[in-house]
Amino acid sequence: MKNKLLILNGPGLADLSIYDEFYGEITLSAIKEKCKNVCKGLNIELDFRQTDDEDELLGFLLKDSEDFNAVIINPVGYSHALTAEFAKHCLAIKTLTLQKKPVIEVHIANIFKQGADITKPLQVPEGQMGFVSGLGVYSYVIAINAISKKLNKVA
Amino acid sequence: MKVYVINGPNINLLGTREPEIYGYETLDDIATKCIEIGNKKGIDVKFMQSNYEGEMVGWIQDAIKNKIDAIVINAAAYTHTSIAIHDALKSFSGYKIELHISNPHLRESFRHNTFVAPAADAVVAGLGADGYSHVVEMLPYLPIPEK
Repeated sequence: MKNKLLILNGPGLADLSIYDEFYGEITLSAIKEKCKNVCKGLNIELDFRQTDDEDELLGFLLKDSEDFNAVIINPVGYSHALTAEFAKHCLAIKTLTLQKKPVIEVHIANIFKQGADITKPLQVPEGQMGFVSGLGVYSYVIAINAISKKLNKVA
Repeated sequence: MKVYVINGPNINLLGTREPEIYGYETLDDIATKCIEIGNKKGIDVKFMQSNYEGEMVGWIQDAIKNKIDAIVINAAAYTHTSIAIHDALKSFSGYKIELHISNPHLRESFRHNTFVAPAADAVVAGLGADGYSHVVEMLPYLPIPEK
């Protein structure tokens, strides 16, 4: 059976042009195309989504993820947030990892270079989760490769 | 393309140290795999490991002298303490990737800060021992400045 991968992109990622200094010429549709091609080569069924609505993103993560074997999420600003929504986000990811589903958080730019205060811990959910930041579109590619390898090991 | 893969303290114990976190592969196993992938892709991969901070700083300085194109660094526990490694990395103008086998941000709070990441171009963590080979495989596609 084909493995199913859900890639989620959070608020603001639809238009990357306003973040030129971090992202260069990358567009979300180019990222989607690249992910589609990589998944095709690895025989993975891909569902690639983006939403500006944090509740919708949480819904994707909590409910829709049930139909998938693995999740890649670019949560944008969540890494430095401390909100009630963030707590729910963490719980959703923890739930997924407890089901032994690989989850990898990705960022296009290196979030530690964007003036992040490195003495303050990065906020991340509990549970086993991978993290890739700063490789541009290849943050997604490396995450897909890692997930493919992991799913094939388990199978 | 020439690449240094620099590993910090206790990484030499891979395969025996808390294998439930770090896996059963030894550093030699990982190095062999990465060098093999490198050979196929025309990348000269050199693996090194030290338990000494100063030796690691020396290797980063060697990378500057020897015009190495990229550094992949798993500074291990020094990630969270070493301003010397941070400074040395800043002096290296090639491409830099911080790598960890586990995801330090999910572990004890004393592992949550990183002096390496702000001096690096990218961070890859929590992909297990396979993280090394995934990174080497990706190197030909990254915006690595020509030397």
